[in-house]
Amino acid sequence: MSINYIPRRFTVVRDKELCINCGCCVRQCSNECHYFADDGKTALVNSNACVACHRCVDMCPTGALRIEKYVCDYRENANWTPQYQQEICRQAATGGVLLSGMGTPKPYPIYWDKILLNASQVTNPSIDPLREPMEIRTILGRKPEKITVEKKGKSTVDMPPQVILETPIMFSAMSFGSISLNAQKSLAMAAKNLGTLFNTGEGGLHPDLRDYTDCAIVQVASGRFGVHKDYLQNSRFIEIKIGQGAKPGIGGHLPGEKVNVEVSNARMIPEGSDAISPAPHHDIYSIEDLRQLIWSLKQATHNEKPVSVKIAAVHNVAAIASGCARAGADIIAIDGFRGGTGAAPTRIRDNVGIPIELALAAADQRLRDEGIRSSISLVAAGSFRCSADIVKAIALGADACYCASAPLIAMGCHMCQTCNTGKCNWGIATQRPELVKRLNPDIMHERVENLINAWNHEIKEIMGGMGINSVDSLRGNRLMLRGIGLTEKELEILGIKHAGE
Amino acid sequence: MMNYVIAGASAAGLACAEQIRKEDKDGRIILLTKEEYLPYSRPSISYYLKGKVTEKDMCLRKPSYYKSIGIEIVTGAEVTAIDRKKKTVRAGRKTYHYDKLCLCTGSKPFVPPMKNTEGKENALTFLDLASTKELKKKANKDTRAVVIGAGLIGMKAAEGLSKICKSVDVAELSERVLPSILDAKSSKSVKSYIETEGHINFHLGDTVTEAKSTGNRITSVVLKSGKELPCDLLVLAVGVRPETSLAEKAGIEVNRGIITDPGTMQTSDSDIYAAGDCAVSVDMLDGSKKIIALWVNAVRQGKAAGSQMAGGEGVTGGTFAVNAIDFYGMRICTCGLINAAGEKYSDRVIQQGDSYKRLIFEENRLVGFVLINASENAGIYTNLIENKTDVTALHGDILGTPSLMWFDKETRKSRLKGESA
Amino acid sequence: MKKVYAKEELCLNCRLCEVYCKTAHSQSKDIIKANKFESPEPVSRVTVCGDKMLSAAVNCRHCDSPKCVEACITGAMQKDKKTGIVWVDEDKCIGCMTCLAVCPFGCIKTGKFAVKCDLCRTEDEPACVKNCPNRALVYADLGGGE
Repeated sequence: MSINYIPRRFTVVRDKELCINCGCCVRQCSNECHYFADDGKTALVNSNACVACHRCVDMCPTGALRIEKYVCDYRENANWTPQYQQEICRQAATGGVLLSGMGTPKPYPIYWDKILLNASQVTNPSIDPLREPMEIRTILGRKPEKITVEKKGKSTVDMPPQVILETPIMFSAMSFGSISLNAQKSLAMAAKNLGTLFNTGEGGLHPDLRDYTDCAIVQVASGRFGVHKDYLQNSRFIEIKIGQGAKPGIGGHLPGEKVNVEVSNARMIPEGSDAISPAPHHDIYSIEDLRQLIWSLKQATHNEKPVSVKIAAVHNVAAIASGCARAGADIIAIDGFRGGTGAAPTRIRDNVGIPIELALAAADQRLRDEGIRSSISLVAAGSFRCSADIVKAIALGADACYCASAPLIAMGCHMCQTCNTGKCNWGIATQRPELVKRLNPDIMHERVENLINAWNHEIKEIMGGMGINSVDSLRGNRLMLRGIGLTEKELEILGIKHAGE
Repeated sequence: MMNYVIAGASAAGLACAEQIRKEDKDGRIILLTKEEYLPYSRPSISYYLKGKVTEKDMCLRKPSYYKSIGIEIVTGAEVTAIDRKKKTVRAGRKTYHYDKLCLCTGSKPFVPPMKNTEGKENALTFLDLASTKELKKKANKDTRAVVIGAGLIGMKAAEGLSKICKSVDVAELSERVLPSILDAKSSKSVKSYIETEGHINFHLGDTVTEAKSTGNRITSVVLKSGKELPCDLLVLAVGVRPETSLAEKAGIEVNRGIITDPGTMQTSDSDIYAAGDCAVSVDMLDGSKKIIALWVNAVRQGKAAGSQMAGGEGVTGGTFAVNAIDFYGMRICTCGLINAAGEKYSDRVIQQGDSYKRLIFEENRLVGFVLINASENAGIYTNLIENKTDVTALHGDILGTPSLMWFDKETRKSRLKGESA
Repeated sequence: MKKVYAKEELCLNCRLCEVYCKTAHSQSKDIIKANKFESPEPVSRVTVCGDKMLSAAVNCRHCDSPKCVEACITGAMQKDKKTGIVWVDEDKCIGCMTCLAVCPFGCIKTGKFAVKCDLCRTEDEPACVKNCPNRALVYADLGGGE
């Protein structure tokens, strides 16, 4: 027997006065932290396996439980922090690559929190969103250089395919496999009711979701899972996934624990085996190759659907975006380094990529400089935590924003970051049937819709405060933003002035 | 307009009358009972003896109920003769005409042959409210009671008396306590439990043969074994026999009980039906003909008879014995063929502490069970018996707590909706 | 009539329905007191049968032709003509549990008297339905039923 070289992370604290020994916690914890004493009546807990997902805390009918960080002091060392020490111990034990779920928790600067918004005062008065119409409708797709109309007002230009969204918020890629069918269904139902889209990720569109094909963005990723003509037809638009913000440069990773019969059938891989997508697409080694693929996809769908290219925010993101636009992409999605994931090597998640705020601003500016900004729609992704983040992103140049972690939190995710184990207690990042049934799509789609409706309302309030009544007037409107506590360089890249200027 | 007459107003009679009224809104229903009481819960007499219920609680329906649904109920009206040709019955000085008649004359206590017990003022039967009231009056803390019979009735009498009297002795011809509903093993443990909790003295394999008295009062009894017991109160609770004298006199086929079609309860006379303790039942589990003197059986048969009399199509469904009873806190629940013998029968037993569970199978079907302090969800077992379910198709341990999750998905779904068969 | 129906595909085996039923039928109606201090301990009328893989909450079906009413030897078990609720008159009940021995659903519990679901004696949602965290219990009139 070998000892644990690292202390546990959390302690589950039970208030004995409130605990009624109902055993709900015992039955709910998929990490089996809670159990009954031999009398079958007294609930006990072993906190070693606790991941702080809060399932027991939230389910307890008397609120008798709480989770505490287990503070076991190391000698102070600013360099050899406990975190680094513990990660070494884990690797010494397993010899494996450290894996994590969700976006990087590292304290890199969050630029959203250093950007401030304008509001109208005397001139250009505010607009009250409750009394006046506010347009947050967003249209994605390639726009022509100019529009000519004939006498009766009809356009003479052949419009490329467009996607109309009732809100600038879409649900980002989360594959069936990384999340459960119930979770994906909730997103699909919410997307339909909200008039927006959800992204199926690499896992394909499950047959149970065939009612939602009009709201689905399907991905063509490096693994090419399930890509055939029907797959492409059953979508609203198609997205070529070149990279993902949480793990730029490597392919998707679905741990074997989450590959059950259904996932195995959908992806055509053996049950229980890891599904690791290769990093590059086997047929894309240059921009010309990308162009070829984009045109093939458009042909296969009779030019009826826009084709999007999703890239991770890396150092040359602006140039890459420009290349994608010239290669014929109608939509370019840039995924910042804080984006979430079901499973990624910890080191890559925490060290590779750049923030979406900077990437977005750089790409938007580059496309403007080259005079091709209006030819494509830019979608930003990589951690939007509230409606203010979205407003700022739009002002920096985004046409629409992809959200994923936020709707998951609405569905119960508590950011315990153990998605890769497949034991998600909330029924989100798991395929175990006894856990998946905890997520009732009838309840969860309502919660997600509530969230997005609330954010839509807040966006309108903020825009109204700025004296803007249409999201088109907010788009790329850097004058509405001011930086605070930013360096000259940061202000320059963001293309905004400092507060006070 | 049809004339319906029902002789006897206990479980079967009342169920019959109510069913007729359900299916025939206009017919005249006459419900005759020889007792002075409106229909009451006969089995509750043991609890009345114990003091657990009052006379009012025992009443099955409110007095105003009968008029409100148009049932003419006549108490103190024992039917003494049936004229099948004229289609009339005689009760007291009145004659009632019938189009359809139902005989629900129930049971009479069986009095075993004994010397010098007849007419004694402290020798009582224990079968109806009147005799129970007598018993209660005569029992006090100095009474030494002797009960003949350790069956359901005898044991209930003994239990009730043990709370009032100085001592209780029980004599039973069989070697077992509660011989009709318990098997050998469980009978033993029940006996010792009752001996301890109730301070009752058992004399098994024995019975009272003679009583010694002073004048009209018995002072002691002599058992077959020769033992002599002092006795202030003698309770005759050996068993019951179907009350069929009325049917016999009228020439209706009788063989121990009144012979009936087991589904429709029709007798050998097409306008006369019989239900309850007085009728012969067919045990659906082994096809045997027997008297199943149980409340729920009487109700089902009464209902079926009533439906048929009113021109409906109700039938009894299968009949078998179900018993749930408790003694001093020990819960006993039994059903079906408990003492079945033969190659085709097998059983499984589980015993944990003071709980005992024995399941009896015929090939792959459950045909009986004995549960002592283990009656959780027993109704599911009963349902398996009634439906003749193949138990090999169940998912789960049949010796565990019965659960709807034993069944396949379709059956589960229909049960959760409330459909049972 | 409206009854409580359980959906096994949504049941989490959390058994909170049992906790809240117990509380609703306690003396104090307080969840801590009912579960820790009351004597006799209140009994939940609903029981979740099964395990984490497959479970469902089972409570009285308030059948149209209740077997328990048929079997009740004292007339304590009755079906209310107006509301359709099958209920136990505790003054009459002698606790013999014959009803328990015939209920095909296993809905009746042992106590001093027969204990079973009474739909919380209200037209509103019963406590179990209100407190189910996953909408696995619905209170609806689905027609039919014995």
